[in-house]
Amino acid sequence: MRKRLTRVAFYAAVLAMGLYVTSPFLWLIISSFQTEREIVSVPPHWIPQKPTLENYQALFDPPKSDSDRAKLPEQGGFVPASARDLLPSMRNSLLTALVVASINVLFGTLAAYAFARFRFRGRQMLTYAILSLRIVPDVALVIPFFMLIRTAGLLDSPLALVLTYLGATLPFSVFILTGFLQTIPKELDEAAMVDGAGPWQTLWRIILPIASPGLIAAAVFSFMASWNEFLFALIFTETARSITLPVIVATFTSDFNISFSLMNAAGVLAVIPPVVLALFFRRYLVDGLTRGAVKG
Amino acid sequence: MALLFLAPALLIMFAVNVYPVLYALWISLHRSDLRRPLSNPFVGLGNFVAVFSESYFVSSLLHTLQFTLLGVALVTAVGLASALILNEKFPLQPVAFAVFLIPWAVPSVVNGLMWKWIYDSQFGSLNGLLYSLGLIDAYQPMLGDPAKAMYLVINAFVWKEVPLAGLLFLTTLKSIPHELYEAAMVDGADALRRFRYITLPSLKPAFLLVLIYNTMQAIRAFDIIYVLTEGGPGDATGNLAWSAYQESFRHLNLGRGSALAYLIAMGTFVIAYWYLKALGREEKENA
Repeated sequence: MRKRLTRVAFYAAVLAMGLYVTSPFLWLIISSFQTEREIVSVPPHWIPQKPTLENYQALFDPPKSDSDRAKLPEQGGFVPASARDLLPSMRNSLLTALVVASINVLFGTLAAYAFARFRFRGRQMLTYAILSLRIVPDVALVIPFFMLIRTAGLLDSPLALVLTYLGATLPFSVFILTGFLQTIPKELDEAAMVDGAGPWQTLWRIILPIASPGLIAAAVFSFMASWNEFLFALIFTETARSITLPVIVATFTSDFNISFSLMNAAGVLAVIPPVVLALFFRRYLVDGLTRGAVKG
Repeated sequence: MALLFLAPALLIMFAVNVYPVLYALWISLHRSDLRRPLSNPFVGLGNFVAVFSESYFVSSLLHTLQFTLLGVALVTAVGLASALILNEKFPLQPVAFAVFLIPWAVPSVVNGLMWKWIYDSQFGSLNGLLYSLGLIDAYQPMLGDPAKAMYLVINAFVWKEVPLAGLLFLTTLKSIPHELYEAAMVDGADALRRFRYITLPSLKPAFLLVLIYNTMQAIRAFDIIYVLTEGGPGDATGNLAWSAYQESFRHLNLGRGSALAYLIAMGTFVIAYWYLKALGREEKENA
């Protein structure tokens, strides 16, 4: 009897945790499929009676004129002007994140290999110094970045985002990649060296294939961090040339004329890539964190 | 040889991490007002003194403390509870674990948007839920109510940060040798004692990571406040990061903004150091 009670209590806890985590997220998704009329129901319709793709259609093909607007009966109300920057912003977000992830993997691996394999003076100090870089908050970095980027004429350029996002991601990538490479037995390198391979060849032929889960983890972490970043993008971007998806989503949230159904659809678009990546690669991410953070 | 491998990453980090931090210090010690761009005299700690005497300073500082204390405590508690649940074997555990990670991947702007919709005072689902359950007679103002706003913002922060904390606890839980528990059972220790004398001490490194990481996140919280409340209503949710943004990019006074940002950075250093002291030094030896 007591055992059964514990069991029931345990499953109640599992259920509570599941609801806490999923219900806000599910509600975001559900309400992005509701019409503008249904979303203002009191109390809310937890399950849409007339699910619709109109919100997504309006985002991907925003009405260009008032006569276009009139043709959208349910959505009719209001599609903000910034919606026409949505597709370019998705492209900018994607490109920026891909470039940042690639540079992280490339230079991060080289540095991590040096930390994991070479003994040199100040190695330990340098590791701590690199980690402590991330204690400085972005709001402290955004001001000097702004001055530098303005002087360099890079305001409203994707390059400005790539450079600043490297600052936000590279220290962490070096950290987890070092943790990863340290767990690869040194004997493998030594065997390769005996066979006459230099450090470059050893890294390229022996280490990289084994370390690929770590490379994936570093790539996904830096992709997600870039895709999700807001403050830098808010300050350094302005037009469709460089503006990113989080900035567009944020302008939607401060526009009182937009219906929540349209806003939520934009939110869902922004949430899909990082959530899919995180779920798909979760083993690599967890492994990367474990080796880097918990054991390191 | 090592230098060749390190050079690209170190050069980048010097350019985009170290140099800006030093430059920010320079800015904070000079008058840097974009409305008077040609006059940047050295003012020593003048910017710091100026922000100390601003009317918003004390309330920003208190809000930062409130957000950090409550936010970090909740993330730690909920994260630990979730890890203990996920450490058990039950049907669908792998699915539960995958789902548990979702909030971690959600961009903070979307997290803000999601909760803004839930908290909406006219049509929000929180009002709807409370109303349907008969807990309120009519829809209430949520984020518009200065008494509630801060707690609601903190709740949104906690929701997003719980998974990573839970994950760090969970991986540490899994590394505790099973023999310890078996030995304790042989000695007749009940579940509570096993938790107190085996689980908790073994989790020390995870506590250290969770506390430091989440303190860093909470003390600098900006995105969520920007989207949910813009520091309002009134100044009910304005923290130091929000004030730094306001000074820099709405009042264009970069000197004062940098001074505030430096206060946040120094606060983070002090707290991280204090955690390291309080929770023992074994981390340092392992690292």
